[in-house]
Amino acid sequence: MATTTSAEGDLKAGRGPTSDQEQKAREKKRADVRSRWIWRIAGYVFFIGVWQFSSTYLTEDFILPAPLTVLDRMGEIVTSGLLLKHFGATLEKIAIGFSLAFIIGAFIGILMGMNRWWEAFFSDWILILMTTPGLIFVLVSTMVFGLSYIGPIVAVVVTGFSYIAVNLVEGVKAAPKDLTDMARSYNVSRARLIRHVIIPFLAPFIFTAIRYGFSVAWKVATLTEVIGGNEGIGFMMRREFQLFSMSGLLAWILLFFAFALFLERVVLQRQIDRFFRWRPEVTS
Amino acid sequence: MWGSTTTARIVSIVSFLVGWQLIIPLLPTALIPTPIEVGEFMWAELRADTLAPETVYQAFATSLRRLVTGFGIALLIGIPLGLLMGLFKRVEDFLHDFVVVGLAMPSLVWALIAAMWFGFVERSSIITVVLASVTFVIINVAEGVRAVPKDLLDMSRAYGTSDLHRVRHVVLPSLMPFLFASLRYGLANGWKGLVLAEIYASTSGAGWTIRFWYDARRAQGVIGYALFFMIFALLAERLVFRKLSDRVFRWRPSDAQAPQEAEGSVQVGI
Repeated sequence: MATTTSAEGDLKAGRGPTSDQEQKAREKKRADVRSRWIWRIAGYVFFIGVWQFSSTYLTEDFILPAPLTVLDRMGEIVTSGLLLKHFGATLEKIAIGFSLAFIIGAFIGILMGMNRWWEAFFSDWILILMTTPGLIFVLVSTMVFGLSYIGPIVAVVVTGFSYIAVNLVEGVKAAPKDLTDMARSYNVSRARLIRHVIIPFLAPFIFTAIRYGFSVAWKVATLTEVIGGNEGIGFMMRREFQLFSMSGLLAWILLFFAFALFLERVVLQRQIDRFFRWRPEVTS
Repeated sequence: MWGSTTTARIVSIVSFLVGWQLIIPLLPTALIPTPIEVGEFMWAELRADTLAPETVYQAFATSLRRLVTGFGIALLIGIPLGLLMGLFKRVEDFLHDFVVVGLAMPSLVWALIAAMWFGFVERSSIITVVLASVTFVIINVAEGVRAVPKDLLDMSRAYGTSDLHRVRHVVLPSLMPFLFASLRYGLANGWKGLVLAEIYASTSGAGWTIRFWYDARRAQGVIGYALFFMIFALLAERLVFRKLSDRVFRWRPSDAQAPQEAEGSVQVGI
């Protein structure tokens, strides 16, 4: 380690006259980064070690299976095609439900942002919807629609659209009046106004709305499947729970987590970055 | 008169209730209750006249006891860990990723795991509350420690105040808003976890009573209990949190208090 650092130091020194202080600051920064990674890895090693230790020495295997057993199960789930089938089923519900929620939420949000009367009309209900436990909608929709396909979608729509509406109201209210006024006085057409002023301005609000709504939709969709479904991630979690298979439950939970993280951080984030490429700096 | 916002609110509530009441007979299912049925159910529950094995008072008392015990344990674990994380960078690096995963984990997961490990006992609900709320305490306390104003600490040291005095008058007041945040979010998330844990691994409490009505296919029970949850959260917010925060923050000039209040009510969403 030490040799590489000094070699890098020489290289820097050769490039140009760096002051002693700058060198020191750089070294300190590097040491900080190294220590951060060491402690972070130590954290992972420690937690996995505790897990392994308690599963081999403290508890029975069926109570806490070893990390490798869970990893094996995860591999099995992925290779057997169960993963695609059930994630697909859940994703389909989320996609349909969330699109509907987005359309309804955007419509209500824009209406509320443009008109005070409609804002007062909807605001109490939006607040109530946002504070009601999602579990309630899940239970009622499962009760009414049974095991059919519609129940989860209804639950996702009802819980999701309020988050979207709330975010859009703020956006519409904050729309830059000077820009729209200027566009109007330059006789810009309505379509162009919407395309080049309103939508770019609303975009951050829309993306925040999508983020929130999406994370809620995930949880609600899974929960509906746990309560009453016949396919999907939640259904598999319940099945493993009923079979008392801890390794299966943990494997599905970890896969669920990885997949949700992937969708949110990679897929959604990429779309957002792409959308904001006109900006000098991504601040969304 | 028709243009005012108050009218809009009234029109909205009335039209919703009337619409709900009118649309029910047209639906092909008998499972959706009318608002009148829900009202009747809630009134009967409040008079402790119920078909469920537990009255609403007993159910909420049981759940509240579990919530308070679980959150107390979460505070005992979370405050020291949070202090360590805020004070030492190494501890922060060590724990950070796990705390973040804990924050993002749906409380359903904790409920299922605790139910499998401990079965139908009191312990599994309490442990769910601990697991669902402890990360909120840790992260908020750690943030709070980092936000303690260094200049005030230096000044008080320069004036030779005792350690105890310094902790009491500088560190604690600046930690307080963060503790309050952890109280709100931790309790809200703990409550969600608790209800699910009671559904899956319990024979008493509010969550279990919801399950009872669900199994009995009586949606007015489920909806009625949801409304009880909201009333409960509202009362907790108005009677406990606001009083407490007024007391703790009485040293603040009154205009500084506004953002604290605006932070929002206790949410019991999923």
